[in-house]
Amino acid sequence: MVCLARFARLLIGTGVLLLLISAASPSIAQQVNPTASSVKEQQLLQELKRVQGRVSIPDQRSGVLEQPAGREWREFRNVTLHWIGGVAILGMLAALIIFYLSRGMVRLQSGRSGRTLVRFSSFERFVHWMTATCFIILALSGLNITFGRTLLLPWMGHEAFSEWSQWAKYAHNYLSFPFTIGVVLIFLMWLAGNIPNKVDVDWVKRGGGIVGHDHPPAYRFNAGQKAIYWIVVIGGGLVAATGYTLMFPFYLSGIEGMQLAQVVHSIVAMLFMAVMLAHIYIGTIGMEGAFEAMGSGTVDVNWAKEHHSLWLEEENARTGANDARTQPTAAE
Amino acid sequence: MLIKRTQQRSEIASSGSIAAGLSGQGSGLDRRTFLRRSGLAGGALAALSTLPLGSVRTAKAAMAGPLTSGAAVRKSICTHCSVGCTVTAEVLNGVWIGQEPSWDSPINRGSHCAKGASVRELVHSERRLRYPMKLVDGQWTRVSWDTAVNEIGEKLLEIRGKSGPDSVYWLGSAKMTNEGSYLFRKLGAFWGTNNTDHQARICHSTTVTGVANTWGYGAMTNSFNDIRNAKTQIIMGGNPAEAHPVSLQHLLEGKELKKANFVVIDPRLTRTAAHATEYVRMRPGTDIPVLYGMMWHILQNGWEDKEFIKQRVYGFDDLRKEVEKWNPEEVERVSGVPGEQLKRVAKMLATERPATLIWAMGQTQKTVGTANVRASCIALLLTGNVGGPGTGANIFRGHDNVQGATDVGLDIVTLPFYYGLAEGAWKHWSRVWEVDYDFLKSRFDSKQIMETPGIPLTRWFEAVTLPKDQIAQKDNVRAMFVQGHASNSITRVPESLNGLKALELLVVADPHPTTWASLAVEAGRKDGLYLLPVGTQFECKGSRVASNRSLQWGEQIVKPVFESKDDLEVMYLVAKKLGFADKMFKNIKVENNLPEAEDILREMNRGSWSTGYCGQSPERLKAHMKNQAKFDFLTMRAPKDDPEVGGDYYGLPWPCWGSPEVRHPGTPLLYNTNLSVMDGGGTFRPRFGIEREEKLADGTTRKVSLLAEGSYSKDSEITDGYPEFTLASLKKLGWDKDLSEAEMATITKINSANPDAVSWSLDLSGGIQRVALKHGCVPYGNGKARMNAFGLPDPIPVHREPIYTPRVDLVAKYPTLPDAKQFRLPNIGFSVQKAAVEKGIAKQFPLILSSGRLVEYEGGGEETRTNPWLAELQQDMFIEISPADAADRGIKDGGWVWVTGAENNSRARMKALVTERVGKGVAWMPFHFGGWFAGKDLRGNYPKGTDPIVLGESANTITTYGYDPATGMQEPKVTLCQIAAA
Amino acid sequence: MARMKFLCDADRCIECNACVTACKNEHEVPWGINRRRVVTINDGKPGERSVSMACMHCTDAPCAAVCPVNCIYTTADGVVLHSKDLCIGCGYCFYACPFGAPQYPKVGNFGSRGKMDKCTFCAGGPEADGSKAEYEKYGANRLAEGKLPLCAEMCSTKSLLAGDGEIIAQIYKERVMKRGYGSGAWGWKTAYRETIES
Repeated sequence: MVCLARFARLLIGTGVLLLLISAASPSIAQQVNPTASSVKEQQLLQELKRVQGRVSIPDQRSGVLEQPAGREWREFRNVTLHWIGGVAILGMLAALIIFYLSRGMVRLQSGRSGRTLVRFSSFERFVHWMTATCFIILALSGLNITFGRTLLLPWMGHEAFSEWSQWAKYAHNYLSFPFTIGVVLIFLMWLAGNIPNKVDVDWVKRGGGIVGHDHPPAYRFNAGQKAIYWIVVIGGGLVAATGYTLMFPFYLSGIEGMQLAQVVHSIVAMLFMAVMLAHIYIGTIGMEGAFEAMGSGTVDVNWAKEHHSLWLEEENARTGANDARTQPTAAE
Repeated sequence: MLIKRTQQRSEIASSGSIAAGLSGQGSGLDRRTFLRRSGLAGGALAALSTLPLGSVRTAKAAMAGPLTSGAAVRKSICTHCSVGCTVTAEVLNGVWIGQEPSWDSPINRGSHCAKGASVRELVHSERRLRYPMKLVDGQWTRVSWDTAVNEIGEKLLEIRGKSGPDSVYWLGSAKMTNEGSYLFRKLGAFWGTNNTDHQARICHSTTVTGVANTWGYGAMTNSFNDIRNAKTQIIMGGNPAEAHPVSLQHLLEGKELKKANFVVIDPRLTRTAAHATEYVRMRPGTDIPVLYGMMWHILQNGWEDKEFIKQRVYGFDDLRKEVEKWNPEEVERVSGVPGEQLKRVAKMLATERPATLIWAMGQTQKTVGTANVRASCIALLLTGNVGGPGTGANIFRGHDNVQGATDVGLDIVTLPFYYGLAEGAWKHWSRVWEVDYDFLKSRFDSKQIMETPGIPLTRWFEAVTLPKDQIAQKDNVRAMFVQGHASNSITRVPESLNGLKALELLVVADPHPTTWASLAVEAGRKDGLYLLPVGTQFECKGSRVASNRSLQWGEQIVKPVFESKDDLEVMYLVAKKLGFADKMFKNIKVENNLPEAEDILREMNRGSWSTGYCGQSPERLKAHMKNQAKFDFLTMRAPKDDPEVGGDYYGLPWPCWGSPEVRHPGTPLLYNTNLSVMDGGGTFRPRFGIEREEKLADGTTRKVSLLAEGSYSKDSEITDGYPEFTLASLKKLGWDKDLSEAEMATITKINSANPDAVSWSLDLSGGIQRVALKHGCVPYGNGKARMNAFGLPDPIPVHREPIYTPRVDLVAKYPTLPDAKQFRLPNIGFSVQKAAVEKGIAKQFPLILSSGRLVEYEGGGEETRTNPWLAELQQDMFIEISPADAADRGIKDGGWVWVTGAENNSRARMKALVTERVGKGVAWMPFHFGGWFAGKDLRGNYPKGTDPIVLGESANTITTYGYDPATGMQEPKVTLCQIAAA
Repeated sequence: MARMKFLCDADRCIECNACVTACKNEHEVPWGINRRRVVTINDGKPGERSVSMACMHCTDAPCAAVCPVNCIYTTADGVVLHSKDLCIGCGYCFYACPFGAPQYPKVGNFGSRGKMDKCTFCAGGPEADGSKAEYEKYGANRLAEGKLPLCAEMCSTKSLLAGDGEIIAQIYKERVMKRGYGSGAWGWKTAYRETIES
């Protein structure tokens, strides 16, 4: 985070530069000795953190003569980010393993009822899986950029690693589009169910039922799922925005902006991945009956009762039947 | 893999041996590699011995790349400016594959500017004109050379029959070799007209006239290299950092080594001014007040060089009277320069000597251009800063051969080498050319018109469109034959469109179609327009004269590309068609229609006694190019013991007296009395008589000598002033017996009636020169320089406000000269100025508009704007405007603006560059753009595939009326405009 | 062993762009790619200085450090080169470079980057010295021929120096000593973590 502060300072510095330029007095003293008053590099660097001038070529970005901030970015990319990524991802993995070993899978306490209930429509599942698939590929190709040189290059060799990285880059660039669309759809699709409310407070207070064997009531999405939702929406939005900044260089920002974008992109992505590991855990081996929700789209009524009691009530009220249907419907 | 590779490299490098086979390629030192290595070593030595220069690396294991091995190395001269940089080309299988630094050249020492470093592309260019083209019914159509030359010839002859020879205007070029320019002038003479001109008209015609009228020759007195000796360098009206970048190597190193004053006086804080020790901002068009302001302080403080003035200067008292009017208050009122600053600069000029004054078009391109340069010369005379190392009028010429083209008389006022147009001159050249004087006379409409200066190129369109009775020749100009000249570098472009439309025939012989073609189509021409592809100067051989008067021989690097032809061949074909080739090429070998450049130079040698172009034989020039490395970097002289170039100054800077056999070394500094003539010394040339009758205040008269008093060049046997040498004067001195029998016979043949009258400049044997030199005397004599140049419109320079001035309050006191007829046309500057004041033009167009140079482009710019390596660097036409003026008008940096001019409702669309470089009230444009007109892109008017990459509005769309009375120079440096956001 | 460096003496640079076109000429660099450029600081104001800039061939080059595929390497001469075969065009070197040296031809849609291109100190690339493949990818290899970068060799005012760092530093020091002023070796502190005391 020290890095971020530095970048913020850099941005302020840029502003100061612009101010200086605009405030420069237009009048020129008649008696000038340009040799004696020549600009000095170190002075400019001290004042503005970078040196900028005019170039006649249309590529105005090349007017930045020197921007040593690249060095700070390098430190971030080669050291800080490795730590952030390492701690976040490995830490999360470790935590999940410990949790799994100590807690094991959250079982359906009352067993399966045999009756199911539609939880996600096929469209919802399509969107989820499209986004998820993209995410996994984006994550792996992204991790490759950060860790590949250390982890893969030595045993893959230069040619093979470059070849793979080239394809990984293409994948990263092109899959960003379906991923972004997925995030947008997720945002719109599930927004209604993800507005935080009082029930969530209770849910969180009671540890979500994960820590103990409690089953706090929840509507369609419990507070944990809401958190994931918002992380996906906000985190996804951030990685998308910063990613496009990097993919279209100089359309949106200069070099400092891109450095900042890369910092945000990579930190958010690392945390995102860590969170997604937890999400995958809970959706698969972490909880009995959870995967079905996204797998077949239906869940056992008992599962719903235990984890989303309020949602089940709503569903029952809405369909007007106490008996849950045995057949899934195409859409609600 | 990468690591292994690095190791391999280090092995190669560290072993220090010729690495053979390491990278699986050939080894050994071929000749080229050897040359390269020695070149590098030379560079390194030079770096350590003098002021360290560039890159140094001990030449080690050198491997010729397989891509370039076997390439031939050929040397030519950069075609872009007058510094005269050597271009070293590598040619393989007829293709120019690489360019290497020319370390050996004492002028550029390996360096180039953006243009010089990219000349290879000129030859490569995909956008060159490939074959002759003709406009048929508005469509560009390919034709053969035969057809083109035939049709052009028929039409020319038809016009000649109908309107006379003066109705064809021969517009040549400073881009041609010396041989090309000379031949073009000769073509004009054989055709029978003095309407032959070239770019010098619009760059330094005023310099040539003004400076020659001061001390004899109108050229740079010293050299770029010699500026290193100066203790004070004053650059006034020039921006060499952009116009002559390689010269800055000398200027800046001189500034550093001598801790010299580096003063820039200019309306713009130019790239040159960025390195100045003192920058003086002045109002455009006030050069004379500024110079007089300096002289006022000099006289006030007694800083003038009294001894120098007494011995070598005429007219000091007349000058003093004029200078007295320019006290600091009046100077500041007119020019805006504070007196204290001028005093400081004046003191440097007068007391921190040697001092030199450097100028270019900032002084010359004015209605008062001739007077401006005269004032500059006077400032130098006043302070004794002429005729020695580190001093002088260092006039930076424009094109690569503009000095040469001027010398060879591709001009409206003279035959080659400043002989003038009088009968004697024609007779001299008819002897050199071995044709009958009567034949030449018969080619003209009359003997009177034969001896009358032609029409300046600045006014070609008026010669086409003005009523016939206003033109002092038989008929209007009906045909333009343009070989190597831009149209957009001539002012008043909107009016030139009328001329382009009215012409019966327009021929453009050039590597590019140029704006002649695109504007002619825009003007509505449907036919009578031919484009002839001509090779660049790298595709032909010959000599070029750099600004320092050095002649350099350029080899042909590659053959003319596509269907292009050598300039000389085009002239031969035209002369043949017009029917006088046999006479014109009597002494010039012609092979496959291509006249031999060497023969043309020899013919020039035989006739150019007046200017000392007689000693520079092709053999000597080639020896210089071969032995470039032997010339000293500072003195430009070769060691005396060298068998080929011993004792010569590089390029045999003219005057190089006598025949080649005399082995005169050339004259690196003009008028330098500290050297004997045979070492390059000289004196001021008494060109305007021996004495002058002056009227005194009491009504009596007295005769004042115009010869030097007590000053003479070293080793001169005559220890006082003396007039030019004639047979008579030799006889008087008893030196006539030194003439050989053959020489005497030639002299007698020249003027059998009165051989005594034969002078040093007419003696084709060179005997008179040889004998004068033998006695340590300068053939032209030893006279005084003139502060009072009687004969010029303003014998003592007088400040005159520009035609379009924002200071209407000053017009009454400093009006331009009255209307008059000059160069066959009326010059109505006075009426235009008066009308502008009366109509309040300055209120409507409040900004002063000046124009100038960008480093990436040259001249009209078609060639350089076609070069992608250059074009990429400047893609838009722009106008510089001060932040205050921009704010007033709501103009943003980089935004589009409309610029409107004071005449013709002219308007032009371009980008704004808001910068403090220009002061408030001043705007500035580069003059290289073309291909747009009044906001319209004319790209479609070019033949397909020949349009330059970058097009833009021409600055001269906005420029206005104004012509120097002595030369017909235009005024693109000061006019008025208005700018509005588009 | 020579340690190659560039040094631009801003008190000599006149923004003539010879270095820029010499580079284009020597390597046939396409339109839009500027391996070298001249930047003018304080343009049009007193104290204006121009500096010619390209890859400075940094000590501990940041570009090499951040390259995800490790395609940038330093030769024994201290020249920073890269392999276009390995480059994936990710742009990271551009974020890290203090001098804006890496260039990317625009290829394909979305302004996506092609292989990075930059100044090679006229030393080609990983291919065999002087080979056709090397020329096509990286341009001429002058260093292998015992010659120095053409930009510096052709510099109009001998402002741009290229060569062994110690020698060019010495040249610059002598200049500054003789003339009594100097605005410093631009970029040296950033690139080589050293300054030239004068």
